[in-house]
Amino acid sequence: MHVSISDLSFSYPGTKEYIVSDFSLHMKEGEILSILGESGSGKSTILRLLAGLEEPVKGTVRVGDKVFCDHGNVVLPVEKRGIGMVFQDYALFPHMTVEANITFGLKRWRRRARKERLEEMLALIGMEEYKKRYPFELSGGQQQRIALARALAPNPSLLLLDEPFSNLDAHLQHRIRAELRETIKQTGTTTLFVTHDQEDARVLADRVVMVEKGTVQKAGRPSEVFKDTWNEKLLEV
Amino acid sequence: MKFKHIRPTTTSGWGAAAVFLVAILILPTLFLLVRVFQPASENWDHIREFMLKDYFVDTISIAVWTGLFSVAVGTTLAWLVSAYDFPFRKTLKWALLLPLAIPPYIGAYTYHGILDYTGVVQMTLRNTFGLELSQAYFDIMHIPGAVFIFTIFLYPYVYAITRAFFASQATSLIESARVLGSGPVQTFFRVVLPVSRAAIVAGVSLVVLEVLNDYGVVSYFGIQTFSTAIFQTWFSFGDIDAAIKLAGILMAIVMFILLLEKFLRGRRKFSYSTTKVKPLKPVRLYGWKKAVVVGYTGSVFLLGFVIPVVQLLYWAALTFDYIFTKEFVSYIWNSTFVASVSAAAIVVIAILVANYTRMAKGIVPAVTARLTILGYSIPGAVIAVGVISFFIFLDEQLMTMLGASSSLVLSTSVVMLLFAYVIRFMAIGYNSIESGFEKVGMKFTEASRTLGMGWTETFFKVDVKLIRPAIFSGFILVFVDILKELPLTLILRPFNFETLSTMAYRYANDEMIQEAAVASLFIVMVSGIAMYLFHTFIEKEPN
Ligand SMILES: Nc1ncnc2c1ncn2[C@@H]1O[C@H](COP(=O)(O)OP(=O)(O)OP(=O)(O)O)[C@@H](O)[C@H]1O
Ligand SMILES: [Mg+2]
Repeated sequence: MHVSISDLSFSYPGTKEYIVSDFSLHMKEGEILSILGESGSGKSTILRLLAGLEEPVKGTVRVGDKVFCDHGNVVLPVEKRGIGMVFQDYALFPHMTVEANITFGLKRWRRRARKERLEEMLALIGMEEYKKRYPFELSGGQQQRIALARALAPNPSLLLLDEPFSNLDAHLQHRIRAELRETIKQTGTTTLFVTHDQEDARVLADRVVMVEKGTVQKAGRPSEVFKDTWNEKLLEV
Repeated sequence: MKFKHIRPTTTSGWGAAAVFLVAILILPTLFLLVRVFQPASENWDHIREFMLKDYFVDTISIAVWTGLFSVAVGTTLAWLVSAYDFPFRKTLKWALLLPLAIPPYIGAYTYHGILDYTGVVQMTLRNTFGLELSQAYFDIMHIPGAVFIFTIFLYPYVYAITRAFFASQATSLIESARVLGSGPVQTFFRVVLPVSRAAIVAGVSLVVLEVLNDYGVVSYFGIQTFSTAIFQTWFSFGDIDAAIKLAGILMAIVMFILLLEKFLRGRRKFSYSTTKVKPLKPVRLYGWKKAVVVGYTGSVFLLGFVIPVVQLLYWAALTFDYIFTKEFVSYIWNSTFVASVSAAAIVVIAILVANYTRMAKGIVPAVTARLTILGYSIPGAVIAVGVISFFIFLDEQLMTMLGASSSLVLSTSVVMLLFAYVIRFMAIGYNSIESGFEKVGMKFTEASRTLGMGWTETFFKVDVKLIRPAIFSGFILVFVDILKELPLTLILRPFNFETLSTMAYRYANDEMIQEAAVASLFIVMVSGIAMYLFHTFIEKEPN
């Protein structure tokens, strides 16, 4: 769904300094957008603000026809936003099976529909035979896919991914990121993902936003944005 | 429209419930605080002029000496089992915690019995060696005797915390001191003691608070401390106001100790977390050094656990047949009942408050968390006075509301005792639940909320399930502590309501030491088993 973020700002209570300041961004429906930036630049914080896990100081966020927050006032609580989020370490519920994890967000669905959705999701990530397993019985890459399936299952209006590859080894990372783009594009979900790896962004994203100290530094197609930084680096040398 | 729902606030259901519960828990203490400053009675002038100094000197000297000896015993033991390898080390490592399973009042009368004219020591001397020594040599019913009892049964607080600290944090410092050529003794005094100051202070302050809480040992030994004085003023002289004033002074002493603790710990916050770090490689001991270390650690274990338990077993065997009656079973039932009901209440309140304080931000939740654990530093005598006067007040209010026909309803019921337990042991349950939440972190809660679950659903479907081990261990810890508890139970129980601890204490006080053994042994066994289970299942640690 269409996403519009304007002037989003945030600081931790008791501190003056803005972690995110006047962050603005618009996304088209179905777009995959990557936020790129150095460690500590506020990337995770932006995702948490969109998810509703932190309260902004000011700014407005709209997703589709829903207003998430309006001039800093939180209007929709986290659970009413209908977003999907894949956490850096996946946060799969350790006391639930794969099946229970994926259907966790489908509580208001009818039983039949829920079952169908589960199968659909398992097929999407190619893990049909794993539904009775517990998270600790899965490899890192499998856990990541389950986390994705869990986030996608309730048909989120916006999918947020925080460094989805940071817990995987380099080899797995390469294989999975091409796969991930495929999966997300199949569902047509508007997606915002955070990374500090240019290569991730190049392979996965339709568009890239470079963030520094919580504000947009540069935005555009991966090839454009990275060409510039590449040139800058060359000039510096 | 403006509703902020990211975290619970004091106006939300969660916050309101937590703040309300904690407010009820601190009400009796506030009640005392108000009454401390009321005009004094004649008794009070008398107490102040003639007795206060003795109470003060006795209380402080027992507390200070026990503190010093506990540090000496606790830290040396912790250092020896961490840094050296010697026979029985692995067993002693956890066995040296076991003296904590014996409540000091049980230890006190057991040692008194062992050293008595008819006890095993003097009997052996008389019958085998024909020696008849002066009774003065065998009398432990004085302040040094009390210090011995407290030290030998309470040093594990210092031992446990210090050893955990050595295991988790001090390794690299100690190793670098060794590499720099510092000898073992030098390392202990110049590196180990200074860096573990915060841990030692944390342990010793627990010991001192236990000493101030004690009523059983000092009253059995006939020593005048604030605890015994408070009870005496109230029950023998019937002077509530003077008792409240004494309680106020005792509280001031506790406050002073807590401040001192804060000051001595410095800015270093000691965390109980058991981060997995490479453990210290123990140095093997040989020859006379080995003998001395085995002798020292072994003697502490013998004195603190084996000797009293063997003596209790012997007495229990003598008296079991006529002590273990239907009545005795009802004491077991009473103990189990009050302990499990209070432990359950504590765990539920702790979960509520801890869940609120971990998610909400700001001053209110922070203060709520502090107040929740306040009770553990308040001596039993003070809580007893506070709770009784509070309940009598409630009853009076009830009477004026319902007319004079009703009598004392609440203050004669078991509710008063349960309430006091909850205040006193809340901190133990709370700390366990809080560390459970800390271990789990916020990520599962947040994941659940992004999947469309509200606070309450998340709490029941995710949070509670994930902290089940912490809930379980919190319950067991509180249960065992209540089983051992004496002063509150003795004072606040309903008429004719006996538990294992009150029954043991009453027999011992009536010079029927052998008859007290079965009940005591019961308490020691349950505590010992709980400690063993904790050691093997919950605090699994390498080597
Ligand atoms: N609880 C907190 N209190 C105060 N400051 C915080 C807190 N948590 C994070 N910060 C600060 O907020 C800033 C942004 O953090 P954030 O996690 O959003 O960065 P990031 O871009 O995601 O970094 P990384 O790539 O390392 O994950 C950092 O400078 C961090 O120090
Ligand atoms: Mg981050």
